[in-house]
Amino acid sequence: MRAPSATTKLGLACAIAASAGLLSGCMGAMPTPMAALNRQLAMAGTNRGPSLSGRWLAVITGRGGRDQVLLLDVARNAPVPVPGLNRGDAKPISVGVDTSGERLALVRQLEGRTELVLYRRSLMSLQPIPMQPAGVPSLVTMRADGKELAVQVSRDGLWQIDLISLP
Amino acid sequence: MGLFARRSVGPLGPLGAEDRQDPAISGNGRFLASVLEQGGKAMVVLQEQPGGQTVALRHLRGHEPHSSPSLSWNGRYVAALVQQGPERVAILEDRATGKLLRLPLPNGSQPARLSLAPDGQRIAIEVIEGGQSRVQLFDLTGQLEPDLPGGLAVQGGPSVP
Repeated sequence: MRAPSATTKLGLACAIAASAGLLSGCMGAMPTPMAALNRQLAMAGTNRGPSLSGRWLAVITGRGGRDQVLLLDVARNAPVPVPGLNRGDAKPISVGVDTSGERLALVRQLEGRTELVLYRRSLMSLQPIPMQPAGVPSLVTMRADGKELAVQVSRDGLWQIDLISLP
Repeated sequence: MGLFARRSVGPLGPLGAEDRQDPAISGNGRFLASVLEQGGKAMVVLQEQPGGQTVALRHLRGHEPHSSPSLSWNGRYVAALVQQGPERVAILEDRATGKLLRLPLPNGSQPARLSLAPDGQRIAIEVIEGGQSRVQLFDLTGQLEPDLPGGLAVQGGPSVP
């Protein structure tokens, strides 16, 4: 275990409080809302399914009955283009982004089926990732270095997790 | 196998056939968090990778159901949504110090999902307000030490039976 820092005493107090079922005994300081970025998100409509990695935030936004993936540069408080990622006839379900903002993994519904795809921003390319054995993906998270996905898959009546290495 | 290599999460039970949801991988790939149905409770389980050895968490037990776990780069921080009485609350466990941080949200907000930045310096929380979902970002700088690539690994704790 890593050597404890100056917060050890607080940690001990919190451990005692938690063991007594007192989560409130460990309330931290109010996290600081990032107001400019939150305004940017509010302007985009409703949003859900955040994936935060490095300076990048990917969310699924909904406006006018259409959902799409929005990639925001948190450091610049600005959206960045993701050409070829969003299609008018596709419904995004879950998205994950790596810490360089280069790779996004997306679960989407298209033409009556649910699929997992990998998007490379510099190439503006989409690559399907087949589910093997067959299954229906419903949620994806991406390792921060972009080298691996963890995918929640419905298969044979169970929820399972597939770990998929990316080339 | 094809272009995309796959590997198993690793067993929990003898048959490895449990319902598992909400996966999250640490930035260095050494830990996987997921939500497992155990005894009718949805509980966050942290497992070392590869192999799947279960690592104990200090603060989450007794606050089920859990959902939406998220890990920092070396797996030092584990954020999740848990139940406290009638409320869903966002919490963060520091596995290095044992510290538990509760993340208070604006009044009336119900958290639905969260995503912790790998360095632990920001968190994005999806909240439901008036039937609408929206994502809000919070700055944790000053509350948490950064958990950066190449940082000291937090070793696994005792296995959970």
